[in-house]
Amino acid sequence: MRKFMVLLLGMIFATLSLYADAAKAKQEGVANLYANITAIEPLIEDFTTLTGVKGLYTRVSTAKYVATVLTEHAAGKLQADLLQGPLPVLEILKDKGVLTPYKSPSTVGYPEWATKDDTIVQFAIEYVAPIYNKELVKAADVPKRYEDLTDKKWKDKIVMPDPSSHATTISWLVGLKEAKIFASDEAWMAFVKGLAANKPMFVKSFSPTPAPVESGEKLIAISMPKYIITKAPAPLAWANVGPILGSPRGIAIAANAPHPNAARLMMDYWLSKESMNLLANKVGEYVLAPGVYPKIEGIEKAKVIPIRELSDEEIKEWGATFKKIFY
Amino acid sequence: MTQKSLLTPSLILMVGLLTICPVFMLVLGSFMDGFGTYEGFTLSKYVTAYTDPGLKDILFNTLIFTLGSASVATILALFLAYMNTRTNIPFKFLFKVISIIPMMIPHILFCVSWALLLNPSNGILNKLLIDIFGLSASPFNIYSLSGMILVEGLLDLPIAYLIIAPAMNSFDVSLEESSKVCGASNLQTLLRITLPVLRPAILASAILVIVRSLASFAVPSVLGIPGRIYVLPTHIYRMISTGFEPDYGQASAIGMSALAASVVLIYLYRYLTKESSRYVTISGRGFKPTLIDLKTYKYPLFTVVGILSFILIILPVIVLLYTSFVPYSMVPSFKAFSMMSLKHWHSVLVDPISLLSLKNSLILGVGGATIGIVLSIFVAYVIVKVRTRAAGVLESLSFLSFSFPGIVIGLGFMWVFVQTPLYGTLWTLLIGYIATYLPYGIRPLSSAFIQIHDSLEESSRVSGAGALTTMRRIVIPLLIPGVVSGWILMATMFVRELTLSVVLSRPGSEVLAVQILRFSEDGMWGQLSALGIIMIGISSSLVIGVTFIGNKFSRIHAS
Repeated sequence: MRKFMVLLLGMIFATLSLYADAAKAKQEGVANLYANITAIEPLIEDFTTLTGVKGLYTRVSTAKYVATVLTEHAAGKLQADLLQGPLPVLEILKDKGVLTPYKSPSTVGYPEWATKDDTIVQFAIEYVAPIYNKELVKAADVPKRYEDLTDKKWKDKIVMPDPSSHATTISWLVGLKEAKIFASDEAWMAFVKGLAANKPMFVKSFSPTPAPVESGEKLIAISMPKYIITKAPAPLAWANVGPILGSPRGIAIAANAPHPNAARLMMDYWLSKESMNLLANKVGEYVLAPGVYPKIEGIEKAKVIPIRELSDEEIKEWGATFKKIFY
Repeated sequence: MTQKSLLTPSLILMVGLLTICPVFMLVLGSFMDGFGTYEGFTLSKYVTAYTDPGLKDILFNTLIFTLGSASVATILALFLAYMNTRTNIPFKFLFKVISIIPMMIPHILFCVSWALLLNPSNGILNKLLIDIFGLSASPFNIYSLSGMILVEGLLDLPIAYLIIAPAMNSFDVSLEESSKVCGASNLQTLLRITLPVLRPAILASAILVIVRSLASFAVPSVLGIPGRIYVLPTHIYRMISTGFEPDYGQASAIGMSALAASVVLIYLYRYLTKESSRYVTISGRGFKPTLIDLKTYKYPLFTVVGILSFILIILPVIVLLYTSFVPYSMVPSFKAFSMMSLKHWHSVLVDPISLLSLKNSLILGVGGATIGIVLSIFVAYVIVKVRTRAAGVLESLSFLSFSFPGIVIGLGFMWVFVQTPLYGTLWTLLIGYIATYLPYGIRPLSSAFIQIHDSLEESSRVSGAGALTTMRRIVIPLLIPGVVSGWILMATMFVRELTLSVVLSRPGSEVLAVQILRFSEDGMWGQLSALGIIMIGISSSLVIGVTFIGNKFSRIHAS
């Protein structure tokens, strides 16, 4: 009975504090999110409608993220209340004192590894897999293992981000080795060399990878299955070649957020099931909220593994190695 | 102190403040251990950047790319400007518009259109040529150095055209007539008289295109990376994208070579046009450009120019229009045409951020170009007419931000503006645009000033008018073609500016190019094309409007 009373009081207090936060957040009026993730306008609109707090979205590309945020922070002009970015970026910002701890009640049911940090919550995985043009690639030819991508029939038919410079692609290739997707390191290296021998066309990042596949200029892309949703009705499908690897995406609150209550409200909303549903189904993201999957055939059964974050030195070293192999 | 003696130092101060601050921050950063912290002097960034074994090839590619683009743009501009201003070729206005169109198209879209037309796998034009001539492989590959040169040359054609055309327009025909009286043919006159007299404009155009292509990112990234051809801007991109805490100090160190090359080019230009009086073509004697009758060549030449313009400029715009109607990236087919809709147009026109960015870009285009051109008139006047050592410094200063690779200059501006209350407002964009693209105003105006003889100003001053009155009553009316060109270059640039905008734009100060980048990063080519066409529409209206006002103004002064 005593336990029940404590729990009840706790719940009342939590609800009251949440209401108090919501009221204060409404008074603050605005929550500004800096994000490298694209196409999240539906979530921002939904947040504004649900809470009455105006959601703002400032897109900051990964290459300029750290420089932009640290410059604004040093000048006392960081306009962000909430910061979303690749995990390594947020960890750099945390080390520099830009972020503040916050435990959101919305993370219930998230994997333990995703919420173990007191400041940064990992909410999605930037999952990388081959996508192909289903009108031009016969079902029998669709790759079924990673090694199938090294088949000579795909020579000059693949498009991928430049593996000598694109950080996520470099991390993905190294992740395939570290996650022991191949029987041995030699087999992994044979895969990398085989892929290089097929002379893939390079682009600067993932976003230009689907267009050549849609138009038939290339048949397969090392890309992200999320484009099947965002580029519908383009004839795209993903090839289930084994466990899918990807870099974790994180979110955290700014230490000197101009609107701290609105920031917490937006964080709670962002990690909620409703918001993650939108992220999965409008943006195609692979999210970590329990039981939420993008509407992409077969994705709920896929094994999706977060890869280890490489340091900048490792990325540069591996980039140089891949440059020798692919160029 | 007289008005004139005060003019140069005050302009140096103003332009210096605008352009030195961001570049200074970058120079400082390139010598510091931690970028942005300004602690711990080091030369290691230069050592690392310049001892990269791959740098030699990159510099060679950059040299070929910039010189090639400058040649394509300048030769095409000379040809089109000559046809337009000096001959009786029909439908002139059309050609003028065509030569300016690439200025209005977001560069990334122009490149994507060319990739759809000439990619070696299924490029539309390549396939057509294979079908017609029964070829076994695609004859063209746009992902090559020559493909990059062609597209960059076309994108920079308006810069070259808008500098050369006004100079050709105000050409003193008596020089050509004298040549013909002495028995020279039209071609001999062109080679011996017309082109040499136009040397300042030709050099100005070539230098501006070299400097611009040195900082260009769209062509090297969309067409160069797939062809595995790296030039300076993509090399810098590779440097800052490999890792999550990029070393902008090293990127700035590499950027210094682009800056140094530009400063050398400016001094070379000043040296080559030292005796500016040789190029004066408007004096007190009165001038009237006459037209050369093309006679039997009139229609064949019209056909050549027409086909050239269609393939090089109109076709990519048609591809853009087509892309805005199809649901995803598709090669033209019955299926593609049957799936066409206005979906992308609708989503762009109901999107509040797209509409806000349209409004902001229009304000920046019209307001920024007008303020920019007023400043450019004074700067160009000092550069051409005062020609002291200080004037040389002013000219170099005006090129500082312009010649720094775009990827890093935006951060330089951010470091400056973040210290001011203007940060996060439209004002930062306005000031940044003017500071960076000042040469777009100064170059056409300098070419125009060079052709106005000092005797006109002297007569005014003998009659008792001050420097400012002389400028307002005598010089400016004669400068109208240059003012119109400069305004068009600045306004169309500001409407599609991306480099600075992407760093400085914040919620509320969104602009068109940033919105276009968002669509591009989401892979939304349909929306991207629709917004791109709206952008072309806005820029065309500005161009037509200002040309009309310019013509009217000229007529009033002529009468």
